[in-house]
Amino acid sequence: MGQEKAAVEAQMILRRRLCNPSFIFSIFSQSPDSNYSKLKYIISSSVTEASNNSVLLLGPRGCGKTAVLDLVLEELVEEHAEMVTVIKLNGLLHSDDNCALKEIARQLCLENQLLFSKMASFDDNSLFLLSMLRECGLAHKTIIFVLDEFDLFAQGKQRLLYSLLDAMQSVTSQAVVVGVSCRLDADQLLEKRVRSRFSHRKLLFLPSSREDLQRVLEHVLLLPTDSRLPQDYTATFNAKLLKLLADDKFKEIIDTLSYSDSTVGHLVRFLFHAVSHMNLNSGGFLSLEIFKAALPSLQRQPKLEGLKDCSILELYILVCMKRLEVKELESINFNSIMKEYKSVHDTFRTSDYYARKVCLRAFEHLIECALISFEDNKGHGQSVEFRPVKLLITWHELYQGLKSYNFCPSILHRLMDREGVSAV
Amino acid sequence: MSKEESPQINRRTTRSSYSNTPNSKTTAEDSKTTINQAQSLSINDFVYGDESKTLDELINSFPRRRTQILQLISLLGPLNSPMIPLFIYGGASTGKTSVILQMFKHLNRPFIYCSCVTCYSPRILFESILNQLFLHRKNVSNGYVSAKRCEKPSDFVNLLREALSTFVGSLKGNLGKSSSKKLSSPVNGIMVYLIFDNFELVRDWDKSATMLPFLFNLYDILKMPEVGLIFVSKTSPDTFQSDPGYAEPFPVYFPDYTEDDLRQIFMKNQANPKLYSSFLEYVSQFKRFKLFVYFLFILNRAVLGHFCRTTRRIDELSTAFSPLFKKYCEPLGDLGTVPSGDMKRELFKHLQPFISPCMNETFNVTSQSFCKASAYKDRTKRNSIAKKLGIESSDDFDLHMSTSAKYLLISAFLASRNPATLDASLFDSTGGPDARKRKRKSTEKSKEKKETKEQELLLKGPGTFPLERLLAIFQCIADYSPDGEEMQDGGLLYEDCDTGLMSDILLQLSSLCNANFISKGASCPLEGSIRYRSTVSEDIALKVARSLKFPLSKYLYR
Repeated sequence: MGQEKAAVEAQMILRRRLCNPSFIFSIFSQSPDSNYSKLKYIISSSVTEASNNSVLLLGPRGCGKTAVLDLVLEELVEEHAEMVTVIKLNGLLHSDDNCALKEIARQLCLENQLLFSKMASFDDNSLFLLSMLRECGLAHKTIIFVLDEFDLFAQGKQRLLYSLLDAMQSVTSQAVVVGVSCRLDADQLLEKRVRSRFSHRKLLFLPSSREDLQRVLEHVLLLPTDSRLPQDYTATFNAKLLKLLADDKFKEIIDTLSYSDSTVGHLVRFLFHAVSHMNLNSGGFLSLEIFKAALPSLQRQPKLEGLKDCSILELYILVCMKRLEVKELESINFNSIMKEYKSVHDTFRTSDYYARKVCLRAFEHLIECALISFEDNKGHGQSVEFRPVKLLITWHELYQGLKSYNFCPSILHRLMDREGVSAV
Repeated sequence: MSKEESPQINRRTTRSSYSNTPNSKTTAEDSKTTINQAQSLSINDFVYGDESKTLDELINSFPRRRTQILQLISLLGPLNSPMIPLFIYGGASTGKTSVILQMFKHLNRPFIYCSCVTCYSPRILFESILNQLFLHRKNVSNGYVSAKRCEKPSDFVNLLREALSTFVGSLKGNLGKSSSKKLSSPVNGIMVYLIFDNFELVRDWDKSATMLPFLFNLYDILKMPEVGLIFVSKTSPDTFQSDPGYAEPFPVYFPDYTEDDLRQIFMKNQANPKLYSSFLEYVSQFKRFKLFVYFLFILNRAVLGHFCRTTRRIDELSTAFSPLFKKYCEPLGDLGTVPSGDMKRELFKHLQPFISPCMNETFNVTSQSFCKASAYKDRTKRNSIAKKLGIESSDDFDLHMSTSAKYLLISAFLASRNPATLDASLFDSTGGPDARKRKRKSTEKSKEKKETKEQELLLKGPGTFPLERLLAIFQCIADYSPDGEEMQDGGLLYEDCDTGLMSDILLQLSSLCNANFISKGASCPLEGSIRYRSTVSEDIALKVARSLKFPLSKYLYR
């Protein structure tokens, strides 16, 4: 196997790992005080002790709530093959009670080789669920309900949550409800009757610390020694990588990355960019340059990019809007901007004075690229010229944007400087 | 030499028609068609049927998009490698869609393309994706129904998962077959890519609050490494923020072309499909290819810089240039000639006066008026520059409507502009507008008041009015007649229609509403009647008034 082929193979391995959250988070399964161990203890004890239980996993996106849960469930299903049934729901899909019950019934039927009827009503399904819970309880089987995006189930009447948790109050049933949410106040959203039936177990998933990120890096990027890759390639790759990970400059990059967002998900996106550019410019090894190049592609400043894409006329309009904003007018619309534009033209005799229609088109471009927006969504009867608009960029962003714009007319700079003095 | 097809065409054709047509070739030399009409769809229809492009061809066909292409290729990765969702964004006409589609032509990997322009609701989007996956095509024999009926995201996910797993299974089978039989299948790999184009439109859907996080999280929900998601949008990811948040896809940015890039693109004339296609007819007809190149050269040297100050979009620039080119060719009577140096200078001199008016009318040029002007060209010799450029000039503006509809339009305009309290003094039978003039004095205070009023008008736009007020004003101004001769005419007219006035006027009003000259607002909660608002600008109202010889300005409160 040649070097190039080995490099492609290595890239494939790394990409597969990065796209598989279970692999990434499996690193946390060893330590005893991790969320993994706690969650496993909670669920497996309720499986073995045949009790009902409920738990919430809370934390920002990209911290591995679902991944850890999946790992735990996978292991439990392996350990207690016949005793565990997992029903997975997602708030984005099943926030409607009717739909959720149907999906529960469908998955239960699938698990137990029963015939599922699409035509079953809400009532039928809920009766079916109750009888299934009882049957499973009698057979000492545990049903685990996973409710992803738990906060979305708490909208409306919460009938699903109520019926699930209420069914779990009886001795015969044997079920675990696991809620996953990125809203830390998810349990506060519950109604009183639901909340009182809910055990207030919560596991908090927090963005990782620096040391944890370092461990994740090693875990994900080091190539396995027992793969099909040639030994010497793997050895050089790993040696280079370890040297890189210890490098202070590399640590700096990771620090800047985690400064804005230190979740593992963010790190994974960063690594994905680095890994996918691995073969392009540095011969199949990960180098500092690759990681350096990956950083700006994640830390984008969309408003400044949008400003760079503007034409000069559009910049004029933005500056005029900013001037009007500084004057503290109640509302701004196209007509008042045109008035300001005309007065700017009259005082400074600029070369860029265009017809109203051209300006209107430029104005529409600005709305399209979301640098400005209408203040309300309702004014459909009104024509565009009269609808009030607002700027979506700050003075500072506009100032920066004008500075970095290549051929920005100096008059705009002067106008902005003047506004800056009066604004500060 | 092969050229990218215009993105417009890409978006409008279905996949099957791209694989059938020799799409990417617009030059004549490549016109040999290899139509292999796909009678029954197979997996091979998921890639472009024609010979694939090499990477160099791909990069060459998109000037100034090299970095983006290389970045995308490396993010898509080698064959069969999983991918996290990508989010491609950048302004209009920066080549996002064409680059990604042509890239799949280069890679020959199966993909599913759906644009949120045509799939304008969740149901249509879901069904379109499923139809493509199930190799189902709507036709007469199946009564144009979709393969599966699917409205809810939950059903969609179940069906999609099922469809994808069978599809990936068949890809794997295909792979096994082709490797054993040494048959080169056109389809590469076992990954399926879903491309959502015009994704920014999803924000305006009714269910955007649930659809956006759902589509962004689709990758996590499906948990299938064989699926790659690509979102293409005109606006940046930060404009998609929603309360519950979502798993952020990886951003890839397509910057707008800079002035230098545009210069290159316009010089490399074939590389710009839109401009090229609009001239294609000319070029083939008159063999003015060389001339066209000179024209572009002039554009680059003299004109482009000016135009770039207002817009940097290729599509808009090329529509602006097309009448200029026509103008440029005009003095050349002989069609086949190649202009010499002197001639070129003369041509440029001829062109020069048209440049600046054209710039201010840049966006006025619609294809319709362009066609119209060329149709009229033989009939009348037009004088004004604007007319020569194919722009409808304001003088010959004519609204084809009945006199009473015109009066109705004017009265709606008056009702929108004037405060309701002044109606009595403006339209009373004794003096009309003169009575008001006496009253008004230009004191400091009134001037100030006038200014604030103007400011308000500028901000608030036309006011609303109930139907009764409109009819009252209409009755007043329809009685009005400027002089004796008109009196007879007008008098006759309105005597005639006096009997059927009300029903007729209401019909006229509803047709004006339909034509969007008058907008119908929601009913006022207090009064309970529907309120109207005139949407015509003052210029148009004045023109209409002039055509009726009605002194509108006298009645306008200023």
